[in-house]
Amino acid sequence: MADSSASKASRYVLPDRRNAITAVLSDRRYLPAILLIPVLVFFLVWNTIPLLWLLGLSFHNYSLTSGDDPRFIGFGNFIRIFQDWTVWYDLSRTLLFVFLGVTIQTVLGVLLGLLFWGSAKLPGRRFALTLLFAPMILTPVATGTFFRLIYDPTFGVLNAMIRALGFEPIDFLGSANTAFWAVLAVDVWMWTPFLVLMTLAALGSVPKAELEAAEVDRMPWTQRLRLIVFYHGKFILMLGILLRTIDSFKTMDLVMQMTRGGPGSSTKLVAVTLHRQAFDAFNLGWSSALAVFLLLISISFTATFIFVLNLRRQRGQT
Amino acid sequence: MSGRWRQHLYHALLWLVALFFFSPVAWIILSSFKTQDDILAVPPKLFFEPTLQNYADLLERNAFLQQLTNSIVLSVCAVIIAVTVSFLAAFCFSRFRPRGTDFLMFLLLSIRMLPATAVILPVFLMYAAFGWSNQPVGMIMFYAMFSIPFSVWILKGFIDGVSPRFDETALVNGASYWHVIFRVILPQVRPGLIAAFIFNLIFVWNEATFNFIIGGTATHNIPVALWTGAYADGGVDWPFIAATTTIYLIPPVVFIYFFQKYLLVGMTFGTVRGEV
Repeated sequence: MADSSASKASRYVLPDRRNAITAVLSDRRYLPAILLIPVLVFFLVWNTIPLLWLLGLSFHNYSLTSGDDPRFIGFGNFIRIFQDWTVWYDLSRTLLFVFLGVTIQTVLGVLLGLLFWGSAKLPGRRFALTLLFAPMILTPVATGTFFRLIYDPTFGVLNAMIRALGFEPIDFLGSANTAFWAVLAVDVWMWTPFLVLMTLAALGSVPKAELEAAEVDRMPWTQRLRLIVFYHGKFILMLGILLRTIDSFKTMDLVMQMTRGGPGSSTKLVAVTLHRQAFDAFNLGWSSALAVFLLLISISFTATFIFVLNLRRQRGQT
Repeated sequence: MSGRWRQHLYHALLWLVALFFFSPVAWIILSSFKTQDDILAVPPKLFFEPTLQNYADLLERNAFLQQLTNSIVLSVCAVIIAVTVSFLAAFCFSRFRPRGTDFLMFLLLSIRMLPATAVILPVFLMYAAFGWSNQPVGMIMFYAMFSIPFSVWILKGFIDGVSPRFDETALVNGASYWHVIFRVILPQVRPGLIAAFIFNLIFVWNEATFNFIIGGTATHNIPVALWTGAYADGGVDWPFIAATTTIYLIPPVVFIYFFQKYLLVGMTFGTVRGEV
């Protein structure tokens, strides 16, 4: 038996060692390096170099519109950003957007997830879930553009409903009071299905035996939810909330399509500010500094994400 | 009997929820069969005479087929490159654990967490300086880079789940490492490969910002067309948007329908397993 498997495997041993390339490729000592080289090349060319570029530029006064060469100004850009109250306003807007969006999505997502918990026998379940998850995979540009029509005060289907109910039509995206909420509503519509998905995953990780034991013991359902379902499901739900927080923080293309940050600056999320300063106003130095600032925030988010992930591993739950 | 009615009611409720979330998308699809006048009718028409004219018009736009081809070429090429490169790296991270593995994995993930503009701004400058803008290869490489972190995370998780005994058995029997990688590990992590493939594909498929800023007519895909080509005759060209979106939505929806069990893995970088 040993003979037959050896002869079978020997087909794959590279027979000709005279070729220098194959010799290097099949050398155990170089293998880890060879496997990593492609990813490191990508990393170096498309990440490290641009990041260093960004970092360097953030210390320069550089604008494409002025035609001047970049001028070194030290921490000037950062000082300008920290003293610029509009940046802090945008940041507070973003935090409000993230906080409200993620909270509403989590509450709705968990409720709908619990609703869908027993849906195994739903006729056409696959199709229904595909419909439910469609908002996530629709091109964001198309979503943003088309919601402009849906929200339109004259032609929009939403205002048609409002008129049918006998109220005055509302210019959702045209007034500073409603635009923020209108954009938030679209974000909630797009991403609640994601939290439904995560809740379903969290519920799937709850051991059936413990639930059955609780039923036998006639444990009240509030306790069942808290002591069994929440205990086992909280990590997955937590990861879902974190991912949503991170993604919500970067919301840009949706807002660019719907309002471009307006009216006034009611929907100017910080990623929108960055985009418009960089590619509408071409304030490259200033926006590089803002990008570095946002980069630090994102890294802290990522660190939190990994922390929770490791916590979950240590608890021995996968 | 009442139990069955309750079940029917429950199922009807679930379908209503799904349809509620789908309704704006359904409105787009419905609009793609309307004329511009019907789309802008007051009050909006639920019943109308469907027309295929919008789709016929799309085919007559010279740029449309070019942009659709760009979409397909960019996403497929970028994702194939990314998944191949990531698979090798993930194997290395999982089996050899070189020094700095955790740090590199962290760095990779943080790229994915950055606001798009923070990534694109330096790349824009770099591409302008090197003259790589408006070249499909430049875009493909960039999208590949953006898909790599996600793929490495997914695939490392899956390779970690394959017992090293498989490797050892193969090695003891005289197989080379390349045999282990491609003939022993690869077949066992197929779900991970599919998840990485589909989710990066959908990401690149829907991506507009990078392409709009970095690319040119040679690389513009359909989302960019929706961004820039939405205006005609002084107004928004709604039939164009509706018809294009509808066509463009078909592949992702088909993927999600057939590969639903990879959805969870895909949307969480492989950090959460399981099915819905």
